[in-house]
Amino acid sequence: MADASQGKLIEFKGASLAVMTAYVRETDAVRLADAMHMMMGGMPDFFAGEPVVLDFSQLTGAPDWVDWTAITSLLRRYQVQPIGVRHLPGHLHEGARRANLALLGQEGMSAERPVVTPQPAAPAPQPEPVAAPAPAPAPEPVAEAQPTAGSSVAPTLIVERPLRSGQQVYAKGGDLVLLAGMSPGSEVIADGSIHVYGPLRGRALAGARGDTSARIFSTNFGPELVSIAGVYRTFERGIQQNVAGRAAQVRLIGSDNQHTLEITPLQNDH
Amino acid sequence: MTRVIVITSGKGGVGKTTTSASISSGLALRGFKTAVIDFDVGLRNLDLIMGCERRVVYDLVNVINGEANLSQALIKDKHCDNLFILPASQTRDKDALTEEGVEKVLKDLSHQGFDYVVCDSPAGIERGAVMALTFADEAIVVSNPEVSSVRDSDRILGILQSKSRRAIEGREPVKEHLLITRYAAKRVEEGEMLSYKDVQELLRVPLIGVIPESDDVLQASNQGTPAIHLKDSDVAFAYQDVVARFLGEDRPLRFVSYEKPGILKRLFGGK
Repeated sequence: MADASQGKLIEFKGASLAVMTAYVRETDAVRLADAMHMMMGGMPDFFAGEPVVLDFSQLTGAPDWVDWTAITSLLRRYQVQPIGVRHLPGHLHEGARRANLALLGQEGMSAERPVVTPQPAAPAPQPEPVAAPAPAPAPEPVAEAQPTAGSSVAPTLIVERPLRSGQQVYAKGGDLVLLAGMSPGSEVIADGSIHVYGPLRGRALAGARGDTSARIFSTNFGPELVSIAGVYRTFERGIQQNVAGRAAQVRLIGSDNQHTLEITPLQNDH
Repeated sequence: MTRVIVITSGKGGVGKTTTSASISSGLALRGFKTAVIDFDVGLRNLDLIMGCERRVVYDLVNVINGEANLSQALIKDKHCDNLFILPASQTRDKDALTEEGVEKVLKDLSHQGFDYVVCDSPAGIERGAVMALTFADEAIVVSNPEVSSVRDSDRILGILQSKSRRAIEGREPVKEHLLITRYAAKRVEEGEMLSYKDVQELLRVPLIGVIPESDDVLQASNQGTPAIHLKDSDVAFAYQDVVARFLGEDRPLRFVSYEKPGILKRLFGGK
């Protein structure tokens, strides 16, 4: 079944795609593996096959040699697909090329034309509701994932149907709005804030990439777990009376290393 | 156009097969040509509830594998002329169900002029259950008034949203109905059971009916008669209401409130 309108079997066109960057500050595969394990905990498929550009601009030390096979297989184990490198010291280029990583950015330009531009030109595409498990409360990240939208406003993900037990939604890089509530056993994650119009009954994790100013709002508060920037709370002994089943918000208070979650009723009664 | 209805729940033992038998019979009694398919490969029960277990020659898997044609496998119901049963296989495992196979069976039923095809889903969320709901146009989610059943129903509603053909192809979503079965108004009154309002509030799906808990259901199963055919039984009336509501009629809810028996009734017994 050939495409009658074109007849061309392959076509080359320039495209700007949003792609995640991992700032690699260490090239020792063992130490990277430890750090990834600390960060991802039991969520080996957090990235779900996403392509990633490795950025070495913040590299500490000047290694003579990099074990590319070890690093790429480590990343693949976490479902991260390394596709290229940027800001890599010149003497390491040959090794990266042999590991089938494209050389991107200024230093790499001479070798190959970048296939994928790291910074999106157009507004970033609306992320699909992808299933993504919760990131573990993260220590200082080694590979810091960069939100897809460069300077433009991060997209808000809006879910119009009720979220059911077993379903997960991840709003990457932005806020999440649920218009029909969520059931026990469901999970929502957002890099920004989470707004639930209707019952919030599952797990809600805002500020998943460390944004401590993210908040969680609901018109009917009754979650199993809430978390902001990795600070979480469960409700084994029930939810405090003044917010249970009512409009409430969750935010982080305190500073630096002394963050605590505060749950307060939303004052919108007349 | 043939409408495909899946009767599903996630949890086992909540009354899916009883409901499938009664709703398919109810639709047939209203004059619609109806087929009811048992998707519970390996643990078939529908043929017992419908009282046709001695007439099973070919089954769903035989039809899917091309070992029998549809007309050979369809069993005519003993109560209604335009109701046909397609039993599950007792000897195969559930992997025998393929998506292409199920789609072909449903297409063939459509060609034969069936108005409704009722798919009796097995419990769980695995292959059989997914196959039963894949091609559904409408879903009747059966739940008991207790938390684990409600949780499982919620899970299956999520699967409907993600795995049904309508969802995958981005068409109008599967129309969802909530049916609460084994409802004991007395225990709800005493606070031992979730009320139908609680269940509906938890699941947020339109309620199509409440079937009262009753010994009649067990009796009907043992006799191989779908509960909707029982005489003077609340369960039969409740299922007739469900069918009526399904067809768009307006019927008030019955059998959801408990009235204490008066002194005369307690003294003299009686029904």
